[in-house]
Amino acid sequence: MDQRQIEPIVRIQNFRMDFGRTTVIHDLSFDIKAGETFGFLGSNGSGKTTTIRALLGIYEPTGGVLHIDGKPFSPERGSRLGYLPEERGLYKKESVIDVMTYFGRLKGLGKQESKDWSLTYLDRVALADKASTRLDKLSGGQQQKVQLGVTIMNQPDLLILDEPTKGFDPVNRRLLMDIIEEQKKAGATVLMVTHQMEEVERLCDRVILLKNGRSEAYGTISEVQDQFGGRRSGCGTRARCPRHRTTR
Amino acid sequence: MARYNLGTVVSFEVTRTLTKRRFWIATLIVPVIIGIVVALIVGANSSTDNSVSSQKNQKFSFTYSDASGVVDPSIVKAVGGSKASSPSAAIAAVKSGKLDAYFDYPADPAKQATKVYGVDKGIFDNGKYSSVASSILTASAEAKVHDAKLTTLVKGDLPVDATTYDSSGAVSGGIGSVIPPLLFLAIFYVVILLLGNQMLTSTLEEKENRVTEMILTTLNPTTLIIGKVVSLFIVGIVQMLVFALPVVVGYLFFRTSLNLPALDLADLQLDPWQMITGALLLIGGFTLFTGTLVAVGAIMPTAKEAGQIFGVMMALIFVPFYGVTLIVSDPHALIVQVFTWFPYSAPVTAMLRNGFSSLSPGEAIGVIVEQFVLGVVVLRLAVRLFRFGSIEYSKKVSLSAVLPSRKAARAAR
Ligand SMILES: Nc1ncnc2c1ncn2[C@@H]1O[C@H](COP(=O)(O)OP(=O)(O)OP(=O)(O)O)[C@@H](O)[C@H]1O
Ligand SMILES: [Mg+2]
Repeated sequence: MDQRQIEPIVRIQNFRMDFGRTTVIHDLSFDIKAGETFGFLGSNGSGKTTTIRALLGIYEPTGGVLHIDGKPFSPERGSRLGYLPEERGLYKKESVIDVMTYFGRLKGLGKQESKDWSLTYLDRVALADKASTRLDKLSGGQQQKVQLGVTIMNQPDLLILDEPTKGFDPVNRRLLMDIIEEQKKAGATVLMVTHQMEEVERLCDRVILLKNGRSEAYGTISEVQDQFGGRRSGCGTRARCPRHRTTR
Repeated sequence: MARYNLGTVVSFEVTRTLTKRRFWIATLIVPVIIGIVVALIVGANSSTDNSVSSQKNQKFSFTYSDASGVVDPSIVKAVGGSKASSPSAAIAAVKSGKLDAYFDYPADPAKQATKVYGVDKGIFDNGKYSSVASSILTASAEAKVHDAKLTTLVKGDLPVDATTYDSSGAVSGGIGSVIPPLLFLAIFYVVILLLGNQMLTSTLEEKENRVTEMILTTLNPTTLIIGKVVSLFIVGIVQMLVFALPVVVGYLFFRTSLNLPALDLADLQLDPWQMITGALLLIGGFTLFTGTLVAVGAIMPTAKEAGQIFGVMMALIFVPFYGVTLIVSDPHALIVQVFTWFPYSAPVTAMLRNGFSSLSPGEAIGVIVEQFVLGVVVLRLAVRLFRFGSIEYSKKVSLSAVLPSRKAARAAR
């Protein structure tokens, strides 16, 4: 990993989020450096999706600083962002190619350019024959592949993926990890939420482990392992504990 | 970038609406129904045509008796009738079907009714008995007058040029000056009725399909919503053109058989002030209603729940019509003032009053400003509700949840 001190692409400081009277995120701070792949871990309901939504301006944070490139996110930056939300969904009544072209154009590609790119991508993920099929006529996994295509259109320099492998079979999961790895090689910074330790091991440079809206562990994979090893506390279940999994 | 995206949104939204079969089925149903009605009326009218000569090719047997002495036997003969021997025998013949019809002209046909007895030929054809009976009478009267000028007068086809003066002594326009500004009112109703529901549900698709997060991170929500409103307007224009087509065709080619009055465009008086006021009221009202419908749609999680609200909104635009006589006759009544200024009844009331020239310039400007200002405020609220509300996929967004967070955000800044 490149150790030069560069301005982090994502900076979250003292982030706090309340829904009504419940505090979901207490006081969260972390940075993501340009070019790294950052794993966002934590059990269900720990606040990962909430943090991402607040970072992207979908939720208004109760307090704290959430910056991308040194300022709050605005959709104008969206052309260089690839976001795969936890709640998947595209315009279901339109054809695959129409939806992909639409998003391509919104992200600043020309009409022909985005059509060509989409067809190449569909060919790669074995959906070439579905280009003019309506999205609601595709299987769940096929729809997800289309959505991933929309996410990585126009060479984003920041990829935010909320459980990207959710709902994929093992073959497609491998295909997806290949695609993420390619994006990473092409220079993209990646923030990904995952519950799969093999994905963390294969892709992530650094991770943060969230528990009940607080940071439990933060750093490189080996640092996090040391934190857990030193404190001999933390992860309740084997599945959630990086140490158990990584030393498996 | 933003304007470029607006074009992209508009073209995507318009294309996908206009390429749906469902849209065309819904749109074409109206002109098809209008077409069927026109065909029925044309069919009916061709058999009840007023001229005696056109009845010749569908002659029927009839006899008559004439107590007035007006009826000219030669005219009756030309149409194929003859004098009845006795009224009771003629009626009996009609009842038994031996004779098609019997006309009994009274002593004073101008005051007393001419009695017509006929064999039932179905509702469309029965009308011909009466029209032949009265045509014979008119033709006979004309023949007795023997004077071109008097004949025209007898026919009653008189050109009349009326001038009325309003209270200030200026020439008031009559119906010809009321129609043009009221056209804006008609357009307002058509637009709201046609597009209202679509406005309400315009952002629901993003919600129901869970596209909101993708959209919000790629596109400014203002661009999305304005793009949607613009494309709805374009779609609405397409629909209106499709609807207008059979009306225009019907008017141009079947005007006489539809008994439509001749619309002499020269009779229409265009008062520039009234027309500008009407246009601005239309656009202002459209802005306010659109903004409100989009805002309501942003709060509602599904189309079904949004539909209930839609009913209430539609009732609101019809409420001023309950007071229409008052609006026309006494524009200063309290209730009319309330309707004029209450934002959601204002467009309809003000457009009505504008048509009948009872909207003062001050009121006009006031209502227009009110509509635009409120329209923009509500549209901005709609954008905000969509932005922070549409992630609530399953439950209604509460206004309080959206608004205090704004305070919090301001405090954080
Ligand atoms: N819109 C909302 N209103 C109220 N509470 C919310 C809302 N969104 C999330 N929460 C609460 O915030 C907490 C964190 O939710 P979040 O979706 O961020 O979890 P997560 O870490 O992404 O979990 P998972 O792994 O299951 O996706 C949960 O307890 C949830 O109930
Ligand atoms: Mg989540």
